[in-house]
Amino acid sequence: MSELLTLDEVDRDGAIRETMAAIADDSRAGFLKRSMLATGGIVGGGALLAAIASPAQAATANDVSILNFALTLEYLEAEFYTEAVAMGALSGEVLDFARIVAQHERAHVSFLKKALGTAAVPKPFFNFRGTTENQAKFKATAQVLEDTGVMAYAGQAPLIDANAILAAALSVHSIEARHAAWIRHINNAPPAPVAFDKPKTKQQILTAVAGTQFITGTPAMTASGGSPAFTG
Amino acid sequence: MPEHLTLEVVDQDGAIREALDEVQSSSRMSFLKQAVVAGGTIAAGGVLLGGMPKLALSAPGPAQDAAILKFALTLEYLEAAFYTDAVSKGALRGETLQFARVVGAHERAHVAFLKKALGSKAQPSPTFDFKGTTEDMAKFQATAIVLEDTGVAAYNGQGPNLTKPTLAAAGSIVSVEARHAAWIRDIVGKNPAPVAFDPAKTKAQILAAVNATGFIKA
Repeated sequence: MSELLTLDEVDRDGAIRETMAAIADDSRAGFLKRSMLATGGIVGGGALLAAIASPAQAATANDVSILNFALTLEYLEAEFYTEAVAMGALSGEVLDFARIVAQHERAHVSFLKKALGTAAVPKPFFNFRGTTENQAKFKATAQVLEDTGVMAYAGQAPLIDANAILAAALSVHSIEARHAAWIRHINNAPPAPVAFDKPKTKQQILTAVAGTQFITGTPAMTASGGSPAFTG
Repeated sequence: MPEHLTLEVVDQDGAIREALDEVQSSSRMSFLKQAVVAGGTIAAGGVLLGGMPKLALSAPGPAQDAAILKFALTLEYLEAAFYTDAVSKGALRGETLQFARVVGAHERAHVAFLKKALGSKAQPSPTFDFKGTTEDMAKFQATAIVLEDTGVAAYNGQGPNLTKPTLAAAGSIVSVEARHAAWIRDIVGKNPAPVAFDPAKTKAQILAAVNATGFIKA
């Protein structure tokens, strides 16, 4: 798996592996939270140079951390929609929505992985607990995920250091809002329920994501040095 | 007239006026259409990043924040007046009427917020002529899509030029504009989220597009 290779390549000094081993028996909530915190300080901006237009601009550790947070959310969304389409339980406009949004979320994942390079966190394992196999459950879950995505980007945007990264984050932020309004419209919920959308902090978002129990663990590790870690 | 003052104050280096001159020969609808779909081909993140940094003007600060908020206020005045006028004209029905009522209330709230943020620097509302688009449901729907998509592109374009606290405030508005855009698009059967990355536009591009509508009376 490419994300495993990435991890091995990045984790020269074993810092990530150490972190993961330390939390292997933790709750999912704990894992997600700590993996976010862990990524921030590991890798410098070199990896971003290739992806960000201005070569003079090195990504700060802060920006790497924010991008990895976003990447985890986008992994989750991309997997959710891709799986829902594959399961075959959706029909009509709901299926159209899932297909188009899946494509967008995969594009967001690709973009973030490219921007982060070797600093990108690996994709976690997911269990969507039946929400991708039932149209009603899918619709309700999609609405929560998209509203959450909007609040997450709104919360992180003012914390981003580099203008190029900020501009990219903003262009994703409003797309998540379009998705949210679309699925709300399909669900007969108000597409724009308030005049001002509220941001949420990283901690609030991670707690909400952990509450879904959709993230079941980290990828199994086939360590280059032969030391087995744990399997998700 | 207020909009002349606004333009003079904002357009320090003549960029807007230059852009306006360029588009004078374009027809109103075709220009607006071009302006709105111009960013639609942006599909890959690399391309997006390549284009973005050009949008930044200079280092953010209070004076630049004020100029940008005044720009946003002009757009919100226009949107608020458009929806309020459309509801009062009585040509809308069904979900389109509901949309206009809800969105009208949001845009008026955005106006109130920006006026409060600007204080004495806030310019008065221009007067508008919506050229029949508030009196016909199909024209209203088509115009609302353009206005909302334009609002999203405007806020996204200005985000990196703002100080962080002002960016946070603008961020709570832009996603609501995006929700409006998706909603009206779905009402008329258009793709609510046509691309994976929303395009951003410069102030000059937005003002040229708005001016080309002829909605702001001179």
